[in-house]
Amino acid sequence: MPEIFVDGVAIEAKDGQTVMEAARDAGIYIPGFCWHPQLSVAGNCRLCMVEVEGDTGGWMDIACNMPATRGMKVLTQSPKVKERRKTMLEMVLLNHPVDCGVCDKAGECMLQDYHYEHNGAASVATVAKHRTTKFHELSKRIVLDNERCVLCSRCVRFTKEVSKSHALGILDRGDHSLVRCDEKRSLDDDPYSDNVVDLCPVGALLSRRFLYKSRVWYLQPTPSVCPGCERGCTVDLWHRKAEWKFNALDPRQNVAIERVTPRENPAVNGPWICNKARDLPDLLERPRGGAPMLKGARVPLAEAAGAARRMIDAASSPVALISSWGSNEELAAARDALGPRFRCFVKADHVPQPGERVGDDFLIRPDKNPNGKRARELFGTAPVSLDGADLVLVWGEGFDFADVPRGAKSILLNAFLAPENGHADAYFPTTLQTERAGHYTNFAGVVSAFAPIRRAPAGSVDAEALFGMLAAVARVPA
Amino acid sequence: MKHLIPEFEKLKKRYPAGLDSALVLPCLHRIQADRGYVADEDIDGLCEFLRVPRIQVEEVLSYYTMFRRKPVGRWHLQVCRNVSCSMRGAERLIGHVCKRAGVSQPGQTSADGRFTVSTVECLGSCGTAPVLVVNETYHENMDAAKTDALLEGLK
Repeated sequence: MPEIFVDGVAIEAKDGQTVMEAARDAGIYIPGFCWHPQLSVAGNCRLCMVEVEGDTGGWMDIACNMPATRGMKVLTQSPKVKERRKTMLEMVLLNHPVDCGVCDKAGECMLQDYHYEHNGAASVATVAKHRTTKFHELSKRIVLDNERCVLCSRCVRFTKEVSKSHALGILDRGDHSLVRCDEKRSLDDDPYSDNVVDLCPVGALLSRRFLYKSRVWYLQPTPSVCPGCERGCTVDLWHRKAEWKFNALDPRQNVAIERVTPRENPAVNGPWICNKARDLPDLLERPRGGAPMLKGARVPLAEAAGAARRMIDAASSPVALISSWGSNEELAAARDALGPRFRCFVKADHVPQPGERVGDDFLIRPDKNPNGKRARELFGTAPVSLDGADLVLVWGEGFDFADVPRGAKSILLNAFLAPENGHADAYFPTTLQTERAGHYTNFAGVVSAFAPIRRAPAGSVDAEALFGMLAAVARVPA
Repeated sequence: MKHLIPEFEKLKKRYPAGLDSALVLPCLHRIQADRGYVADEDIDGLCEFLRVPRIQVEEVLSYYTMFRRKPVGRWHLQVCRNVSCSMRGAERLIGHVCKRAGVSQPGQTSADGRFTVSTVECLGSCGTAPVLVVNETYHENMDAAKTDALLEGLK
């Protein structure tokens, strides 16, 4: 445990730590583009240059690649250090287009922050700025603006070290250098590719999904859990802040999930998520079910619940198919309400889609449902069997109504618009995880919370509340 | 490049195990000497042989300008355009070579496939500037007359 002094403050560095790591752990921020805690040290941006005091006058070196040694005296704010940072930023800015006004990264750009803090002067270039490619299609999901790129190589190291697709590299050399995908366009096949957009310290790598959708300062992140697979990565859903919702906007824009980013969580996903999580709006913003229905006729909730109760009352062998998308709270309510009366089976709401990566040794898991583990804990692992059932309660998606035994009644709880909604004897539109708070338990038993980002559409009902309504009867033995 | 694999296998033995990526450079040199340029299928074959990612080979090919991704003419005329050569008339020489080779500017190959003209950086022969390299042979202290005589002999 070497003790080092950063700006005169003694801090304990762990064995093998660099000055950068020790300083950040102690809450001292040393700037840097290329250094990232999860990636190898590249040492190419030179922005973390610090001064080391020594008996013979000291020296300058980069903090990210300098092992912390006992008694080392490091200065991060000395005039020499400040001068060096300014010089480095001057070089970065030489050919930077300074098009922050139209750059998606503006507001969360490290170059902007560092420029305000350490430089503040316009480009010192006296000749026309060097022009290079903009809107270079790096993959079908990502575009690259080479004029903004600072060649930190974070994205290259990510594909080499984390996603292991080895898709990106730096072609050519010197100031002709360009980040490029290989000629086979391997980045298209990298299911983790969008992480490079978050990793990019500047506005060079841009998500085509989010391109020009919104300024980031109009948005706020709400913690959520990706329901894409049983990993249950914690994510931030970015949606418009209340004070920036306007009637003049497209109504969709006021409530939409504009983008999804990882919420760092060492217990589950670290700082990464896969592209499926980035595409959560496609999954969660499908057309919704509307109002409760009895055989396709819209009715008030109380009437539909009453009819469902009578069906449960009358049934002699009811079966419930439990959604593996239910939250821990909903599953507990389902067990209390349905458990005593129904034979319950856990159903896989979603199965791997054609072309989707089924599983790997990084994040993606083969079970494409967020709460299968908790559901199986409560309701067992027996395969679905509808033999002899005269009432089938289906909760969630992924069930073929052709499998309902002839003559049996059906109750359906589904959040989304689907043809079978009208076929069910009773249909209840349920809420989504974006409209209520709750928890999912991932495959390893880690429980993560999600919070609502918007109100549920009129007519929909919380499954938890609905089970309570049905329980009033279900608890009493028939 | 498949026929070069036995040669590459021998080369591999000279490197420590696990450092196959160090073979990218010597293998590419051998491929270019064999074919005259590095074709897409060569890159695929080399990646498969060395088990290195394709981007790594592409990075090497783009970093070193002496690697070619396209075929050149039978005679590759490379004229230095660095300081010493330029001071001794390289600009005039480049123009003259282009005219005699039948191309409109450096980087092109003549219609009959005889000549490709390129401009290159320092060839390390400043004392005898300007320098013209034909394939791998240096021709020093070049002027228009010497160029004419030289190109006449290249069929």
